[in-house]
Amino acid sequence: MAPQLTLQAPLELPPDQVPAYLESLWSQGLKGSAGAATFTLVVWEPSWLQQQLVRTGRLDGPISGLLSEELLTAARGAVTDCGLPPSTAPSAPELAWALGQQEGQHSAPDLRGQFVDRAISSHRPRRLITLAPTLTADTPLETLVAAYCPLPEERGSGEDACGDVVVLRGGMGAIQQGLAILQPLIEPDLPCWVWWNGSLDESPDVLEALATPPRRLVLDSSIGSPRRCLDQLVQRIATGQAVNDLNWLRLRSWRESLAMVFDPPSRQGALQHVVQLDIDVEGQHPVKGLLLAAWIADRLGWHLQTSYRLPANGDGEGIGAEFQRHDGESVQFRLMPVPVGLAKTHPGALVGLRLICAPQGQAPLCVILCSESGGCMRLEAGGVASMELAEEVVPMPNESEEMELARLLGGGHDTTNPLLAAAAPLAAKLLPE
Amino acid sequence: MGATLTNPLRVGLRQERVIPPQCLVIFGASGDLTHRKLIPALFELFRQRRLPSEFAVLGCARRPWSDEEFRSRMAEALAPEVKRHQSAWNQFAACLFYEPVDLQQPADAVRLGERLEAIDKLKATRGNRTFYLSVSPAFYASGCRSLAAAGLLKDPSRSRVVIEKPFGTDYASAEQLNRVVQSCGQEQQIFRIDHYLGKETVQNILVLRFANTIFEPIWNRNYIANVQITAAETVGVEERAGYYESSGALRDMVQNHLTQMLALTTMEAPGRFDPEAIRNEKAKVLQAARLANEEEPWKCCVRGQYSQGGNRLNPVAGYRQEPGVNANSTTETYVAMKLFIDNWRWQGVPFYLRTGKRLPKRLSEVVLTFHEAPVHLFDAAGGSPTANQLILRIQPDEGAGFVFEVKAPGSGMRSRPVDMHFSYDESFGEPSDEGYVRLLADAMLGDPTLFTRSDEVEAAWRLYTPLLELIEDAPWQLPIHPYESGTWGPGAADNLLAEEGLMWRRP
Repeated sequence: MAPQLTLQAPLELPPDQVPAYLESLWSQGLKGSAGAATFTLVVWEPSWLQQQLVRTGRLDGPISGLLSEELLTAARGAVTDCGLPPSTAPSAPELAWALGQQEGQHSAPDLRGQFVDRAISSHRPRRLITLAPTLTADTPLETLVAAYCPLPEERGSGEDACGDVVVLRGGMGAIQQGLAILQPLIEPDLPCWVWWNGSLDESPDVLEALATPPRRLVLDSSIGSPRRCLDQLVQRIATGQAVNDLNWLRLRSWRESLAMVFDPPSRQGALQHVVQLDIDVEGQHPVKGLLLAAWIADRLGWHLQTSYRLPANGDGEGIGAEFQRHDGESVQFRLMPVPVGLAKTHPGALVGLRLICAPQGQAPLCVILCSESGGCMRLEAGGVASMELAEEVVPMPNESEEMELARLLGGGHDTTNPLLAAAAPLAAKLLPE
Repeated sequence: MGATLTNPLRVGLRQERVIPPQCLVIFGASGDLTHRKLIPALFELFRQRRLPSEFAVLGCARRPWSDEEFRSRMAEALAPEVKRHQSAWNQFAACLFYEPVDLQQPADAVRLGERLEAIDKLKATRGNRTFYLSVSPAFYASGCRSLAAAGLLKDPSRSRVVIEKPFGTDYASAEQLNRVVQSCGQEQQIFRIDHYLGKETVQNILVLRFANTIFEPIWNRNYIANVQITAAETVGVEERAGYYESSGALRDMVQNHLTQMLALTTMEAPGRFDPEAIRNEKAKVLQAARLANEEEPWKCCVRGQYSQGGNRLNPVAGYRQEPGVNANSTTETYVAMKLFIDNWRWQGVPFYLRTGKRLPKRLSEVVLTFHEAPVHLFDAAGGSPTANQLILRIQPDEGAGFVFEVKAPGSGMRSRPVDMHFSYDESFGEPSDEGYVRLLADAMLGDPTLFTRSDEVEAAWRLYTPLLELIEDAPWQLPIHPYESGTWGPGAADNLLAEEGLMWRRP
């Protein structure tokens, strides 16, 4: 699905004239169209990695904010060049930071906010506001405005409902300054989504200003330090705000595959007798694995007793924990980082899961789930040959961030998914201080 | 499909297809279907988080109810569910609205448009609307005309109309109705509902056939000797005498439900899993279907009507003794027939369809009987070997079975048939969605795969036109055979198969 550029060339205006211009655009210029009564989408779009890859001459422009195949290939090449471990995911902030230490003065047109993915534009956003910070901290604030109408094939033959696109671009100081004009641009009567498409470590004051309830927040708990990611997730959910975590959504196929193993009623009893849960993840970002473990624990009614760091091996330290089941028996949990030759796009992708159930008077059941691209040899070792084995390969969904976001925009909720709301606090407790 | 246990890991996973923001408008909101099927199905979708926050239901009927009265009436009708999920109901009820509307009045349709715009603003439903015509079939055409005249159907990507069965009463009326609704909107906006297609096991016919390579090579006249499709009910006419007297089993069950099962069983593989590709293949096979004897249709069809049955302690009334039924009624409560499909795949294979009320068991199934082995090498325990049968059980005990011969234990080489059994309950244990949950969700998603297209409906009516004309013009040629309640229908139905040396399967 190719992204579309705005149909109208963006108009650069002084920031303080933007609200008045947009008002006149709808009341005069586009007379007869009140604009789509849909939603506002505010996107924090730093695209540090893309900017750094372009600056260092590893990637041709323009800077679009999209995770294209070319960008991922260039990023994977840069991982080795920067001396980072091969398990470093292309979207890990460490890579952009390491590139920032390298020389380079290449430039390219900056079209962030002007690309509208068709998956998103088909929902006809009323207003798309993009905050696009630049590498150069002292770049002054530029404000671009364009009216936007969906392409004919997206809008059917009915009346045209249109929206507009606003881009605030500049150095960090300028962006801070731009926040003041942003608030009046958000239509109070329509739902507003805020997509924090960056690290949760950066610009906490901007996040705070943008993501005020009842705006619906979309974030990615795989980008940023694990502690900060989980704390942000937990705090925001606790406020009652609708929080959508792309990292959690990417767990869908793992949750589905595990549920599928226990669909036959003859297997469901075994879930009451889990004694061990092991999860392997790529690299040093455990949040996705912890969310999966927390979801399992929550669904099966386990209580966390203790969590601790496991001794470091060659690939970094793991996390261990002990849960207590309903019947008082304990469940041992281990999450281990494993090395991979070619990391997936996002940090902490799952490599494998092993769940061992030991029902009394029956043969133990060992469930192993493996990622499509990785093996599970570590999880297959350790005496599982004597158990009833249920082994599944988890398919890798091949969907862009924009597709995931579009799915949320297409049928979103004004509350957090209750399963995520239950799993996030437990995942935060699982991460040892 | 009853579940014995619930898989705690399965909870909340049915969210893959989220319905886009919209307003569902139910015409006939004061009627039975609304509180018995539609609102419960919507509440189920709400509890599964498959409805977005930007969602509204606008009930419309002539009664001068307010939003509050509509909400409280629905809560009353769903009392046990509401009690179990009070907090969820409170949130859901906030999405329910009501507007008194008589679609025959142009002014009402205009007022409806204004109310919908207000709801769009209030609930941010983005101008997406699904109009559900849960009204008397006599109002389908005028309802669509009123909606179109008020400009409510002009955007095909934002508005659609769901029409309940029956879609017409014969070929001519269906064609006429299709002409009217197609003049009001595009075919892609029209969702003709057949709740049989909402059943998981009916959809499974497609998966079984086209997701497995072992069936398709033998799914044709070279291997299949005959096919039986049965939809049996144990109940009588119940409270539906008014409708049933003018429809009968042929219109009520065969033209829609059984014909859909026939189409799914016999269609060619679509090029892709796409609504139009699937509906093209269904329409094509129905166009190739015909009564086994079109010139003398009475020779390939048997009609029956249940008479008294039961015993002294539990007597069962006959059809003519049911409340609201004409004491001399000639409406059929049972029908059996033989069809052929004139195409390369099915040429010469007889298809036997039967449905009836007050039969001994409630069940729906498709049974494919294969040719016998060309040479009988072994003695069979039953005298002669049983032909292989593939049984697709639609309800109850949903699943599939395969009957084949094995060696009976012992020193000899005698064969006997055994049954290999697949059960949805044993494999999945999860209850599947009620048909209306699935179909409502699909309609609101704009996915027409499980809805019948105009050419399918017309082809289905055309198939039975010789019978309908005969019943109308010369009913004595297709007489009503009485059968005792609780039996498998009139003996004459057995003769349909007996001339081929076959028998109905006794499930």
